[in-house]
Amino acid sequence: MRASVIATDFVASIKTWSRSKGTLFWTLAFPIMLILIFGAIFSGIGETEYTLYIQDLDDSEMSRSFIESLNGTGAIKTKIVTSSENITLYIDENSIDRLVVIPKGYEESINKSFIDQNTSVNLSFYLNPGEQTSNQIVISIVSSVIQSFNMEITGGRNVIGIDQISTIPEEFTFFDFFLPGMIGFTIMQTCVYGSIERNTKFRKDGILRKLLTTPITRTEWILSKMLFMLFLSFVSTSLIIAVGVIVYGISVHITPLMIIIIIATSFLFSGLGMLIGRFVKDEETADTAGGAITFPMMFLAGTFFQLEMMPEFLQAFARVLPLYYVNEGLRNAMTYMNQSEAILNTIAVVIFAGVFFIAGVLLTKWKED
Amino acid sequence: MMEKKFKCPDCGKVASYSGMPGEIKTVYCPYCGSKGRARLPELKHIEDLAIEVSGLRKIYGDLVAVNDISFSVKKGEIFAFLGPNGAGKTTTVEIIESIRQPTAGTIKLSGKDIKTHFNDIKKNIGVLPQEFHSFERLTVRETLVYFSKLYKKRADINKIIESMDLKSCEKRLYKNLSGGLRQRVGVAIALVNDPDIVFLDEPTTGLDPKARRDVWNVIAGLRDNGKTVFLTTHYMEEAEYLADHIAIIHKGKIIAEGSLNELIERYGHGSLLRIKRCKTDGAVKTLREKGFDASSEGNGDIAVKIDYKDRVLDVLSNLRHECIEYESIDIRRSNLEEIFLQLTGAKLTGEEIA
Repeated sequence: MRASVIATDFVASIKTWSRSKGTLFWTLAFPIMLILIFGAIFSGIGETEYTLYIQDLDDSEMSRSFIESLNGTGAIKTKIVTSSENITLYIDENSIDRLVVIPKGYEESINKSFIDQNTSVNLSFYLNPGEQTSNQIVISIVSSVIQSFNMEITGGRNVIGIDQISTIPEEFTFFDFFLPGMIGFTIMQTCVYGSIERNTKFRKDGILRKLLTTPITRTEWILSKMLFMLFLSFVSTSLIIAVGVIVYGISVHITPLMIIIIIATSFLFSGLGMLIGRFVKDEETADTAGGAITFPMMFLAGTFFQLEMMPEFLQAFARVLPLYYVNEGLRNAMTYMNQSEAILNTIAVVIFAGVFFIAGVLLTKWKED
Repeated sequence: MMEKKFKCPDCGKVASYSGMPGEIKTVYCPYCGSKGRARLPELKHIEDLAIEVSGLRKIYGDLVAVNDISFSVKKGEIFAFLGPNGAGKTTTVEIIESIRQPTAGTIKLSGKDIKTHFNDIKKNIGVLPQEFHSFERLTVRETLVYFSKLYKKRADINKIIESMDLKSCEKRLYKNLSGGLRQRVGVAIALVNDPDIVFLDEPTTGLDPKARRDVWNVIAGLRDNGKTVFLTTHYMEEAEYLADHIAIIHKGKIIAEGSLNELIERYGHGSLLRIKRCKTDGAVKTLREKGFDASSEGNGDIAVKIDYKDRVLDVLSNLRHECIEYESIDIRRSNLEEIFLQLTGAKLTGEEIA
């Protein structure tokens, strides 16, 4: 095996890829577009009115006036939580994203502040950290209402403040769920269609026949293509993570298991692409066959939606799909940090990868009949 | 000693003579007594052979694609494998290139069996597969560099670009090239390892006449540089223009083989003299009465078969003597299309003649 030959083919693949606007779009821009679209749908970017739960423990004229002012902004709709509720329990049971507690003694503290300038009162603001975008908007609205109260009461001195409390830290947001799924889906698409192209278009164009008559070996060719597939997988994974972190502020852990899953997934779906290209030789039909396999798998394997949302029989079916283990493995390895589950998922992905890749390599022929 | 058949240019009858390979002999026609000189062909020495194919068969189910063919190609010649689509040309060449497995037969390239030495052989052959399209988004130079780097022995890319007249398009992406340029790049790719034998499978299919002529010039240049060229084609003009040696394949079998002159001599009907727009009634009958093989082609055109060159003068003197008026005349020699038609009853395009 010659490293120079592998490097030559790898570099040529990158050049070819980087010059194709269509390929760049589907590999890089499309996953980002999906993230942003799903982000807009699920994080409430399009909301014009935000619900804010309020527990008014003071139940005074001033606290009611504050609540009225919040409603008066037109951007916030308050919902009152009775003072008898245990707030932590209430948030947990009702999946509340934003809740403000006006403490008992609110009005008294404000009145006292006219005499004692050091007196202040803080509202407790419970926030679901997963709803960063909409929370930022609500915080800024609440802050501006507080500021105007402070101005009115003291001429600018901060009597009323906010204590931010992050709610349910171990509960994850849709993005924590969605982002690893997006990574798995993108690697699947890239590798399946990349392999199909090599096995149908290159065959039709005579490139495989040509290579057969040159000194490059099949092993060198497959290795260089797998290097290229890994390159694409890591580039798209990095981009997806970057968008997730920058735009949605999610927290991702880069772990060895995550790297292993990405590598194994690249081999797995390259093998699947080889098998499709082996049995469906026409380029267009092979693309359609690729779509017919990957598209339902994308939905059924819990890429965008929790498996629990689906009927029982579909859940059982999902558990035989390789993408399910990729998605779950990535979630456990990079988000939930559930390493024992991640190891089991990784083992499943590696087994799938071994079976598909070996079958793909063995059944794919360069030679014509 | 070897024996060779010849067709007497005077009486048109086939006879034979014998002698040593390469010997020039005085030959007498046993039928009309005409005398002439002829040279016996050189014997193909094993060391002079670039390609040796023996007993090659390829069977797909019930279909015999290649039916027990044997031939050899001398070093430094352009060998044209001519036949209609589906005759078995590409199957044969792809077996020689080790892209397909033969059902039976042996193949040697430069004296080495491809079954056991193909990894060695690969280094010294260059191949342009049928309907080859290279990587669309690499430039011409990048494409040549890519294929060149697959070999240890490399030709100078600059020289290839220059000799193939690709300088002006070396920075253009392959996908933006015209059909003719793509084929020239394909031939150039086949040369990146400075091969001894170059296989070109239908290199001009689908090209316009100008682009085809350009590719022909490139192929002729390969022979001038000492390469052996194995060319498969279904264009008889291509084989006539380029080939030193032609093998005609039909339905998986080689039905004729030799140089163009040998094939015409052996299977052709000499030349055809065509009298255009004859204005005299009964001219065909008159010519036939004078012993000429004349026939009407419509629109007043008359075709007269000419067995040997002196017959042209006979026809012309008879036209004058019989006061036969016409617009013009032309003379055309038998071509491969006619030879193929005569041998198979079909046109090279694959069309059967009723």
